[in-house]
Amino acid sequence: MGSETEKDEQPSETAAISEDAESVSKDETKKSHEEQGIDFSPDSSVHPKPIPEFEKSISDKIASKFGSKINVDYVRSSRIRISTKKEDILDVAFFIRDELGYDHAESVSGVDYPDSKEIEVVYHLGSYTDDKLATHVLTLATRVPREEIPNPGKDSTRMTSLREVFYSVEFHERECFEMFGVYFEGHPDNRRLLLPEDWADIPPFRKDFKIKGR
Amino acid sequence: MSTIAPQFRFSRFVGSLFDIIFWILLLFSLIGLPIVFIILFYIKMPLVNHQLLTPYLAMTWMADPSRTLPIIKTLLHTTFFHVVAFPGFGFAALLAAATIFIERKFLAKIQLRVGPLYCGKVEGILQLMGDGLKLISKEIIIPAKADKPIFWVGPLLFLGTAAAFVSLIPVAPGWVVANPSVGLLAVFATIGFFPIITVLTAWAANNKWTFIGGLRALHQMIAFEIPLILSLLSIVILTGTLNLSQIVESQQHYWWIIFAPISAIVFFICIIAELERVPFDLPEAESEIVAGWLTEFSGMMYGLIQLGTYLKLYAFAGLFTVLFLGGWNGPSVWPPLSPDLITNGITIGPITAKIAGLPLFDQEMLNGTLWFVIKTVGVILVILLPRGVFPRIRIDMLLHTGWYKLIGLAFINIFIALGLLYAGVLGPGGLIQ
Amino acid sequence: MTTPLPPGIQLEKVDDRIMTLNVGPQHPGSGHMRLIIKVDGDYIVSCDPDPGYVHRGEEKMAEYRNYVQNIPHLERPVIHDSCNILYPYCLAVEELLGIEVPERAKYIRVIASELNRCVYTLYWLAIYGIFLGHSTMFMWPAGDRELFIDLLEAMSGARVTHAYLVPGGIRNDLPANFEERCLRQVDYFEKRLKEYQAIFYKNPLLISRTEGTGILSRTDAIRLGTTGSVLRASGVDFDLRKKEPYDVYENLDFETVVRKEGDSYARSYIPYLEMFESCRIIKDAIRKMPKSGSVRTKLKPNPKGGNDEVYKRVESGRGSLGYYIVSNNRPEPYRVKISVGSFRNLICMPYLLKGELLGNMPSVYWGLNYWPVEADR
Repeated sequence: MGSETEKDEQPSETAAISEDAESVSKDETKKSHEEQGIDFSPDSSVHPKPIPEFEKSISDKIASKFGSKINVDYVRSSRIRISTKKEDILDVAFFIRDELGYDHAESVSGVDYPDSKEIEVVYHLGSYTDDKLATHVLTLATRVPREEIPNPGKDSTRMTSLREVFYSVEFHERECFEMFGVYFEGHPDNRRLLLPEDWADIPPFRKDFKIKGR
Repeated sequence: MSTIAPQFRFSRFVGSLFDIIFWILLLFSLIGLPIVFIILFYIKMPLVNHQLLTPYLAMTWMADPSRTLPIIKTLLHTTFFHVVAFPGFGFAALLAAATIFIERKFLAKIQLRVGPLYCGKVEGILQLMGDGLKLISKEIIIPAKADKPIFWVGPLLFLGTAAAFVSLIPVAPGWVVANPSVGLLAVFATIGFFPIITVLTAWAANNKWTFIGGLRALHQMIAFEIPLILSLLSIVILTGTLNLSQIVESQQHYWWIIFAPISAIVFFICIIAELERVPFDLPEAESEIVAGWLTEFSGMMYGLIQLGTYLKLYAFAGLFTVLFLGGWNGPSVWPPLSPDLITNGITIGPITAKIAGLPLFDQEMLNGTLWFVIKTVGVILVILLPRGVFPRIRIDMLLHTGWYKLIGLAFINIFIALGLLYAGVLGPGGLIQ
Repeated sequence: MTTPLPPGIQLEKVDDRIMTLNVGPQHPGSGHMRLIIKVDGDYIVSCDPDPGYVHRGEEKMAEYRNYVQNIPHLERPVIHDSCNILYPYCLAVEELLGIEVPERAKYIRVIASELNRCVYTLYWLAIYGIFLGHSTMFMWPAGDRELFIDLLEAMSGARVTHAYLVPGGIRNDLPANFEERCLRQVDYFEKRLKEYQAIFYKNPLLISRTEGTGILSRTDAIRLGTTGSVLRASGVDFDLRKKEPYDVYENLDFETVVRKEGDSYARSYIPYLEMFESCRIIKDAIRKMPKSGSVRTKLKPNPKGGNDEVYKRVESGRGSLGYYIVSNNRPEPYRVKISVGSFRNLICMPYLLKGELLGNMPSVYWGLNYWPVEADR
C-alpha cells in the first residue's frame, strides 16, 4: 500500500481542474514571468502510471450511476477526485455514503478562483467501517459562484449543506462559511466559528483579501 | 557603576542619626510622658508581688531581671496572652504554618521537585512568610456589583470563627483559652458557622463561580457535619462528659482510637471534607469553577481566608488528637527541672546574674505540650499528604459518601460504644479504668 | 422603562432555572477557547464551543511563502508535536515535487515523530492530571518530558519548535552516540510509565470518577467523524500508521491500541498505552535503521509544484492530520488546508457534555485530546 513513491500524473485531467481558473490571465502572467526570467515549467517529472484497479472500480460505479452529471478528475492510488455541479452534490453524496460505504468527512476546504469567479468547495471523505476503504480518501468537489463584493449568507455564493449526509461536516462547513463566505443551505447552525464577532472585512481566505506587507 | 545609594555621604548619615534621636526624645517627652500620667490616672493597674504595678515601677524592674520575672509570669496567665499567643492564635498559626512548610517539602519530594528553596537561605524556610508579605502588599479589588459590607466582613468572620474554634482546644493541663463544660457542643456550634460564612461571601461577591463554589461548600459541609457529630457521640458515650479537658484526662491509660477506630476513620474523613482538602476540594476546584467561593478575593482578604484555613486545620487536627490520640498524655520525656534551678536560678556566662524562678513553665506543661505538638503535627501531615496521591472527586460521589456511608459507619461505632458500656467493660465502674 | 438598545445588541432571555457559564478563555480549565455552557443545577443542558482565540491564519500565510519557507511557521499550531504536524506537509510536498527520500531519513523521521508524540502525550497527560486535581500527575509527566525534549534537542538543536522534517528528508543527521542514548532513555521511560499506572490509572478515585462518563458509542464516533484516541476508545480500530503506512511504518513492529468502552477513562487511557507502542517503534526503528547514508535529498532552489493537488495524512498525537495542497505552477502553494484532529474532535464537545455533571466537564473536555491552538490554526 505504499503510496509515497507513486506518481501518476494525468495531464489531461489535472489540467481540467484549473484550466478555466488559469485561462483568463495565463498569457499575461506567462509574459511577465518570461520578462523576469522565471522558469514556468513544473519541477515534477510527468510520467503517467497505470490506474489502480480497486480505485478505478469505485470511480466507475459513480460514473455509471450519474453519467455526465459528474466528472472523474483523477484516479490515483487510494485517492479519487470527483467533481460535480452544486445542484447534484446531495444525490452524489447520498450515493457515496449509502452505496460505497464512505461514512465521514475529514475536511471541507474552500479554494478561491477569482479569475473564473468561482469558489470550489472540496470535501475529503473517508471510511471507518469498511476496512478495504480505510486507506482511501474520496475527494468530492463542487463549484459555487463568487461575488466581487461578498455579502456572506445573502448573496449567490451558496450551496446545499451535506450535513444530513455526513454529520461530521458541521463545524467544517461553518469554518468554510466564515472563511470563504459560502452559505450552506440546510445547515442548522450557520454562524461564525473562528473569526471574532466584530469581524467586518471580507471573508479572509479569499484571494482578494491581502495580508499586510505581502 | 551601580551603587545602592549614589548620593551617600557619611556626615549626612551621622547627622540623620542624631536627628532621629532628637525626635524620639522630643516625642517621648511631649507625648509619651503625658500618656503615662493618663494611664496612671484612669486605669487600674494590677498588683504584682503585693505591689501596685505603675509604669515607673515597671521601668525600674526592667533593669533587674529577677524583678521582671513576676511581671512575665503574670502576663503568661492573663486571658490576653492565652488568646493571642500560647494556646490560642499565635501558637496555632505558627504550628500550622510550620506544618504547611513541611507538607510542601514532602509533596515536592513525592513529585520529584525540590519545593521552596531560596527564600530564607535554608531550604526556603521563610517561603510562607514571603507569601504572606506578598499578599499584604497586593491591591484589594472589590467587584463593582458586590454586596460590599458582607464581602468585606466575610474574611474577618471566617478568621474569627476559626480562632474561636482554636480557643477550645486544650494543649496542656490547664492551658486552654476557653474551657466550658460543654466544650464539644461549643465545637459543633463553631463548626456550624463556616457554611453560613461561605455562602454569605459567595453570594456577596456577585459572581457565578463563587456562587457555585459556595453552594458546593454548603452541600459538602452540611453533608459531612452530621457524620462528624455522630462519630464523636461514641466518645461522649464512653467518657460521659462533653468537656474536652476531661476527655483528655480520661485517656491516661489508653487512647479512644483503640475502642472507637471506626469513629476515628469517619471523623478523619469528615475533617478532610470540612477543610476542603484533596480529594474533597470541590468548592475550590480550579478546573471546574475557577477558585470556587474564593474567586473574587484578592490581596490580604485572600490572605485572611488562608490564615483562617490554617487555624481551622490546626484546630481540627488538635481536636482529633484530643479526642482519639490522648491529647497531652504521654510518657514523661522532658528532663526534670532541678529544684536548684527554680530557687537559685541560673548563672549566665561571665555575667553572674542569678535569676530565680526562671523556667516559666513547669515540667508537666512542657511535656504535655511536646506530646500534643508531636501528635497534632502528625495528624496535620496525614491530612495534607493525600494531596500527592488522589485526584478530586465529584459532587455526587461526595454527597453519596457523606449521607450514606459515613453516617452508617458512625452509627456502627455508637452501637459498639453502647455495647462496651452496658457490658461493663468501659465507663464508670467498668473493668478497664 | 425599556430604553432602546444600541443597534446590533440583543438581550438574551434568561430562564429562571438555567444559568449560562462562560468557561474560558480566562478560565483555568479551558485553554485558549471558550465553552458556553448552560447549566441546570449541576447538570449541563447545552454546550456551545467557541474556538478561534488563537486563530493565526496559517493556511493564508502559507499561500504567501514558498514550499521551504513554509516549514517553520506551519509547525506553530502544535509546538509540542511539531514533527508530526510537519510530517504530512513534507509527504505532500515530496509527492508534489516528485522527490525521493533516502531510506535512513525515513527511519529518522519516524523516530523523531514518535519522540515528539511522546512529548505531546506527556504534556497532555500533565494537563489531564491537574484538571482532575491530581497534582503529582502534573509534575511527573512534565518532568519526564524533558527526557524526550533533550533527545530532540540533540537531534535538531531546538527544544520545542524543531523544524526538523523538511521535504526531501530531514534537516541534519543524528549526532554521534545518539542510538545508545536514545535506547537508554526510552528504557528508563518505560519503567516510569508503569509507575504512572500505579499512581494514576489504577487509582480508585480516578476510575470511579471517569468510568462511565461521557460515553461515545461506536456508531456515534464514526458518524461524528472523530479521530485519534477518541475514535479508538470507542472501539474503531483505525490508526493511519497501520491502515495507510507512510514512510517505514509498515516495516516496524507495533500494535494499535483499541478499547471498547468509549468513556472518559478509555479516552484517557489510550494515549498512555500508545506511549508504550511509541517506545516499541523507536527501539525497533533504531534496530532496523541503516547505519549510514544520505539523510536529505536537496531541493532545487525555489521549487515549483505542478498544476496539481495532493492530500496526505498521518497519525499525529491527536489523530489523523491531513494536508490538502493545491499548486498552480508557482513556487508558493495556491491553497493549503490543514485538516487537524483537534478540529474534527471539536464536534464531540456539545454532544458529549450535554446531560453531564459540571464536575465531569474537565475530564470529558480534556479527554477529547483537544489542542485549542491546533484547532484554530
